[in-house]
Amino acid sequence: MIFGILLPALLLAATPPPDASALIARLKRPVPASTAYTEVRFVHQLTRPLVLRGELDYGGADKLGKRVDVPYREVTSISGGAVTVTRADRSPRHFDLERAPELKALMGGFSALLGGDASALATLYTIVLVDNGNDWTLTLVPRDAVLAGHLRDFVIDGTDAEPRCFTLHQGNGDASVMLLGALAAAKLPQPPSVAALATLCRAEP
Amino acid sequence: MSARGRLAAIAAWWLLLALAAFAVQHTLVVNNDLRSFLPPPRNADQRVLMDEIGDGPASRLLLMAVAGAPNGTLAQLSKEIVHALRADTRFKQVLDGDESATQLDPTLLPYRYLLSPTLDHAQFDEAFLREQLEERLQDLGSPAASALEDILPRDPTLETLVLAQRWTPRHAPTMRDGVWFSPRGEALLIATTHASGLDTAAQAEAIAAVRAAFAKLPGAAGGRLQISGPGYIGAQVAASTRAQAERLSAIGTIGFALLLLLAYRSASILALVALPLASGALAGLAAIVFGFGAVHGITLAFGFTLLGVAQEYPIRVFSHRRAGADGAAGVRGVWPLLRLAIVSACIAYLAFLVSGVPGLQQLAVFTIVALLVAGAATRWLLPLLLPDRFRDVAASPLMQRAQRWLAAMPRPRALPWIALALALLALWFAPAPLWQNDLAALAPAPPAELAREGKLRAALGAPDVRYLLVLHADSADGVLRLSERISAQVDKWISAHAVDDVELPSRWLPSLETQRARQAALPGRAALTAALDAALTDLPYQPGLFMPFVDDVEAARHLPLLDPEAFERSPFGARLAAMLVERDGKWYGLAMLDGVRDPAALAAIATQTGGAVRLLDLKSASATLVAQYRTRILQALGVAFVLLVLAVGLAFRDVRRAWHVLAPMTLATLLAIAVLRACGVPLSLFHLVAVTLAAGLGLHYALFFERPVADADEARRTLHATLVCVAAAVLVFGLLATSAVPVLRGIGATVALGVAFHFILSTQMAMWRDGDAG
Repeated sequence: MIFGILLPALLLAATPPPDASALIARLKRPVPASTAYTEVRFVHQLTRPLVLRGELDYGGADKLGKRVDVPYREVTSISGGAVTVTRADRSPRHFDLERAPELKALMGGFSALLGGDASALATLYTIVLVDNGNDWTLTLVPRDAVLAGHLRDFVIDGTDAEPRCFTLHQGNGDASVMLLGALAAAKLPQPPSVAALATLCRAEP
Repeated sequence: MSARGRLAAIAAWWLLLALAAFAVQHTLVVNNDLRSFLPPPRNADQRVLMDEIGDGPASRLLLMAVAGAPNGTLAQLSKEIVHALRADTRFKQVLDGDESATQLDPTLLPYRYLLSPTLDHAQFDEAFLREQLEERLQDLGSPAASALEDILPRDPTLETLVLAQRWTPRHAPTMRDGVWFSPRGEALLIATTHASGLDTAAQAEAIAAVRAAFAKLPGAAGGRLQISGPGYIGAQVAASTRAQAERLSAIGTIGFALLLLLAYRSASILALVALPLASGALAGLAAIVFGFGAVHGITLAFGFTLLGVAQEYPIRVFSHRRAGADGAAGVRGVWPLLRLAIVSACIAYLAFLVSGVPGLQQLAVFTIVALLVAGAATRWLLPLLLPDRFRDVAASPLMQRAQRWLAAMPRPRALPWIALALALLALWFAPAPLWQNDLAALAPAPPAELAREGKLRAALGAPDVRYLLVLHADSADGVLRLSERISAQVDKWISAHAVDDVELPSRWLPSLETQRARQAALPGRAALTAALDAALTDLPYQPGLFMPFVDDVEAARHLPLLDPEAFERSPFGARLAAMLVERDGKWYGLAMLDGVRDPAALAAIATQTGGAVRLLDLKSASATLVAQYRTRILQALGVAFVLLVLAVGLAFRDVRRAWHVLAPMTLATLLAIAVLRACGVPLSLFHLVAVTLAAGLGLHYALFFERPVADADEARRTLHATLVCVAAAVLVFGLLATSAVPVLRGIGATVALGVAFHFILSTQMAMWRDGDAG
């Protein structure tokens, strides 16, 4: 009896809103896909944000690579739960994705998003879509309470089927904004701030 | 005594025995620790070895895997098992990976600069700090940044990470959902028992506790728990050996009962036949309770085997009853010989009493007391309870035929000499090895079980059970210094794949000398602040961010050094405590090895360090101990034989008669050993004990056959008694010889074979012959 009422309710709760599903399905990337990025990282322990430039590679579910070209060279590759970080003239460091729960959640989000799998994404995050015609903003909030303490939300801005920015807001106020594709070459606002970058992410190209 | 009174008396005797058995069972401590069986260690080295054989941490591990469900469920089950077992006092430590060394314990945090090797090759100067801070900046830009932010202000050089890496086994299993997982997707756990790995009873208890804890978990139905480990295998093997022994002796007992019914045509004999033996056994056990308190399981097994001779006493009484005479008269006829057999056996076992080995002393006390009591019960109690109606076996036509046949049998005088020559040839040409020193080979574990253990052990990166690196020094700190000295060599071994990993004590705690050097290398507050400020030039760190670092370094400069005692109070202390052992004022460091591939390369360290560091091969070391023990047993048996010869010779005061008794016994023993050796069987302690039992039985045959008798009837009674005894022994031990367990097969075959030889040679050499001069 109770299940009869509860089950549809649960299914409903875990189902993304219909237009979000359609949008996420459109985001599906062919494998492998790669895109240039510029990441601006705001860390409260630093007086100015870190700016990194490089390339993101998506190699299918559970396979993601992030290459830093500037200001130093570093390659991070995540594959099947194992993370490897390689820096120039250093032996690679390996660690288990399990040991970095936030990275793991993020990885799950990326995989679901770039795989166009809305329902998988909906099991990890509550999804809010703001749709302004061609431009849209997806806000993902972790369902896991412990995780939500560290990772406040994960925002994707885009136009049509192209994501323009990935923005992470951490629980401690730190944030990371990744400008993707053509936007990666855009001139950064001076001084860079989370708000200024958000404006850049949502502006018409 | 009336028939009713007799029945009541028999019932009362049994009841008394049952009560005594109950009392003994509740006071006698039977332990399965090999150490109480082996000769006591003579020096500190041997004591350490003895400790490690039974108590080495590697041998006390229960390895567990939970499979058959999704990862999340398995991880949850794993955590719940750990929770349940940590509350169980049988377990010293239960791990599933959740307490990995990723986070340094707060008590050790201030000591990180003394524990980490960073300062051995670096200085906290501007150049080093600059390099570190630039690297941290890159770390903050990497996907793993969030893990770093918390510790960065205190620990910009990441000493906590250095220590975590140092303290994580090289082959630690991968983590999934917060617990260890095998590559095959099983959640992995390790439990260390308090009980020795060789204490099969305690291990069985611990295993049952694990299974019960698992079964109680709400999600248990969703997963499958697999257990392995040395203790698990030991308990399994012990249980299956015991089950086989019990099954075979049950069949043997039924066969023995049928044999008695056939031989005496009397059911009441069945109620009587076991009374002397049972009384003797209980008296022997009581003597051990009073004399020693505890006894080793193997000693008991040996004792009961040797006690088998007492089963003959009542049979002699039954067979030698003469028509028309009462029970007491029959006993009086055979008693002088029985007494001679019992007394000479007891005198012989005195040799075990003076051997100085507790296991053998217990064996002697048990056997002597049991034989005396069984003999006394046969002489003074049994005759009162014999049934009135019985059949004089002398009248049996079968016995008459057998007697005629035996009398007509040719007895070539050369036969014993030919047998002796053949036996010596067989012994000389028998395939090597002569001795089986590996006690585990006597009851080997199934190969599939061993393979499973190996797989789990490898998946868990658990230490090797066979090898251990032992470091000798005068103090705990001396051990740590030595450990540091050989660490470079150890690294070479690892890179040369001689061994997968070596857990040296200095991996956990550096020596005081090293700590002092690192402490001295820490800059003062002013110097550090200056170097740090210079290193921070142009870097975007918040001003004052690294104040906690400066404070911690300053604090570390004034910390009292960390000695083993202090370290052992930390959460990792148990690891170090298990590796540092003090015996008689000498200190031993025990380094765990993982994946030994080239033991010879590792053993060479002994010469490089002048013997201060040695590779201990527990398998060969315990084989050496067993060999030493066997030498003591052989010596004791040699003395026992001399005592027996003296006792029989003195009793007879006639060399020729003593020769007739002792020669067939000796030759039959030699023949039994020769046949075993010719079949390629390496001899073990168990064979020696079996041979001794057979010799005790053979002594009876020879004594009774040699006895001058007044008439042919009495000779037939002797023949009847001996045939029943031989048939019983061959039946019971022959059944044991069909067992698949080498130890049971060995005892069974040896006794059955020995008894057959003893009987044949007794009829050949001891039997009173017409032509013999009296």
